Amino acid sequence: MANDIILETESLSKHWGGIKALNNISLQFHDRQLHGVVGPNGAGKSTLLNMLCGTLQPTSGCIFHKGEQIEGMKPWKFVRRGIGRSFQKTNIYADVTCLENCAVAAQRRFTGSFNLFASRHSNKLVREAAEKALHQVGLESRIHTIAAEISYGEQRQLELAMVLATDPCILLLDEPMAGMGHEESQRIIELLNELKQSYCIVLVEHDMDAIFELSDQLTVLDNGTHLITGTVDEVRNEPLVKEAYLGKEDDEEEAA
Amino acid sequence: MIFEKRTERIFLAIFFTIALCIPLFLEANSFFVGKVTTILILAVFVMSLDFLVGRVGLVTLGHALFYGLGGYLFVILTPEYEAVNFWVYAFYILGLNALIALVIGAVVLRTSGIYFIMITLAISQMAYYYFFDSLEFGGNDGLFIFMKPETSIFGLSFLNLDNPTHFYYLALLAVLVTLLAIKVILRSRFGRIVEASRLNPERTEALGYNIFAFRLISYVIGSTLAAYAGLLFALQYGYVNPQFMTWEMSGTALVMAILGGMGTIYGAILGTITYEGLLYLFEHMTQDWMLLMGSAIILMVLLLRKGLAGYLEKLLEK
Repeated sequence: MANDIILETESLSKHWGGIKALNNISLQFHDRQLHGVVGPNGAGKSTLLNMLCGTLQPTSGCIFHKGEQIEGMKPWKFVRRGIGRSFQKTNIYADVTCLENCAVAAQRRFTGSFNLFASRHSNKLVREAAEKALHQVGLESRIHTIAAEISYGEQRQLELAMVLATDPCILLLDEPMAGMGHEESQRIIELLNELKQSYCIVLVEHDMDAIFELSDQLTVLDNGTHLITGTVDEVRNEPLVKEAYLGKEDDEEEAA
Repeated sequence: MIFEKRTERIFLAIFFTIALCIPLFLEANSFFVGKVTTILILAVFVMSLDFLVGRVGLVTLGHALFYGLGGYLFVILTPEYEAVNFWVYAFYILGLNALIALVIGAVVLRTSGIYFIMITLAISQMAYYYFFDSLEFGGNDGLFIFMKPETSIFGLSFLNLDNPTHFYYLALLAVLVTLLAIKVILRSRFGRIVEASRLNPERTEALGYNIFAFRLISYVIGSTLAAYAGLLFALQYGYVNPQFMTWEMSGTALVMAILGGMGTIYGAILGTITYEGLLYLFEHMTQDWMLLMGSAIILMVLLLRKGLAGYLEKLLEK
C-alpha cells in the first residue's frame, strides 16, 4: 500500500503574463511518504503548493487526487478531500486561544457548522480533536493561551496543529521550520518522521539537513522547471542540482 | 452564559430596568414615550448593522435598504382598510425580505472590502430612486398606513398598537429578542466560523469552509432584523417613504454603532441612545446643532477608540 499514488500533477504550469513561475511539472506523490520539494528562491515551490491546495488556478495542466481531476475546484473543496496545508507566513487566528484555533479547524469534520443555536463549546468531539492536535505538536501547555502571545516557533507548531485538526490525508507544508530554534525544529522533525507513517506529506523547506533526513522522495525545482525527482542519494549526486544551487545563484537573486 | 463580559451584564441590567419603568413615569407624556420608542426601534436597526459590520466583517453602506423594505412590504402586502394580524404579517414580511436579501446578498457578497461598500451603497440608492420616482408607491411622499394591525395570539390580545405605551413595550421586546438572537448566533458553532472568517478569511477557507455561505446567511439574518426595525418604525408613525432608505440613514446607523463600540452589540444600544440624546439636546440649544453634533462625534471617536462600550469595559473589567 505504501506506494499508492494519492496526488499527481500532469504538465502543471503557472504563468504570470510572460513569466513562467512553473512550467510543465509532472509529479507523483505517494501515500505514507514524505516528498520534499527544494529549490532556490523563486524556483516555484510555493506556487506549486498553492496550486496543489487549490488557492491558485493553474494556467494549464491537471491535478489528480486519487485518480480524480480536481484542478479548478474551490480551495475549501480541496480541504474536504483531505488536502490540508500550512502557510509559509504564520497564518493563525491571533486573537483567540490555541484551543479555539484548532477547534475552528476541527469543527468541520463534525456536523453542525451551520447550527445557529447550539453553543460552540457544546460539542465534545470538536474539543477532543482540537486538544489531540495540540498534543501531537507538543503545545499541550498552551491550550488556553491566546495565539498572539506564544513564541514564533510555537505559532509554527500551532499552524501545523490546525492542519492536523482538519484530519487530512495529505499534508502540504510550506516551510514549517522557518524561524525556529534548533530544539523546536528537532521536535518538528521527530513529529514529521512519525506523521509520514500515516500521511502523504509534501514538504517545502529550506533546512537542507532536515529535508535530507526526512524525504523519501525529493524533487528539485529551479526557475519554474523540474530538474529531478528521486531518492535523496540520487538527487545529491546529480550534477544539475549542484549547478542550480551553486553555479547560478547570482542570476536567481537578480530574478528575485 | 451568553453575556460574557461583566460590563455587558451591568449595562443590560440597568438598561432593561430603566426601560421597563420608563412608561410609568412618562405615561402622561405620550410624545416622550413615542420618542423613546423610536430610539428603541433604531437600536434594533443599529444592532443588526453592528452584527454585520463588527462581527461578520461586512462593512455595508446600504443597510437602510432593508429598513425601508420592512415598511414598504407591509403597506404593499396588507389590505388598506383592514386590521391584519401583526404577527402573521410580520412573519410574511420578514420571510419575503429574507428572500430578497438572499438574492441581493448572493450578488454583493461576490465582492469584498471597498467594493462591497460601493455595491451595497449602489443597490440601496437604486431602490431609493425607484421608490422615489414610483407613482404606485407614492413617490417622495411614500405610503400611509391607515389601519394599525391587531396583535392577538390565539384570540388573546395584550397589545393595542394605537396605545403608545403598548407600542413602546413591543419595541422593547424587539430590542430584547434582537439582542438575544444575535448573542446566541455569535456563540453558536455557526458563529465560530463567522468569527473565524472575519479574523482571517484566507485561513478559514484553507480549513475547508465555504465562507461565502456563512457570510450570506449572516447577511440575510442582519437584513431581516433591519427589516423588522423598519416595519416597527413604519407602524409607529403610520407611513413609509423613500427617506427610510437613504444612505444618510445607513451612515447615521454606522456612526451610532461606532460610537457605541463596534462589534459589541450592546454598545449599539448605548450608541443609539447617546446619539439620539445628544441630538435632542443640541437641537433644543441652538440652530447650529449640526456643528455641535459633528464636533461631539469627532471628539468621542478620537477619545474613545473602542467606543463607549470599550470605555466602560476599561473602567469595569478586571
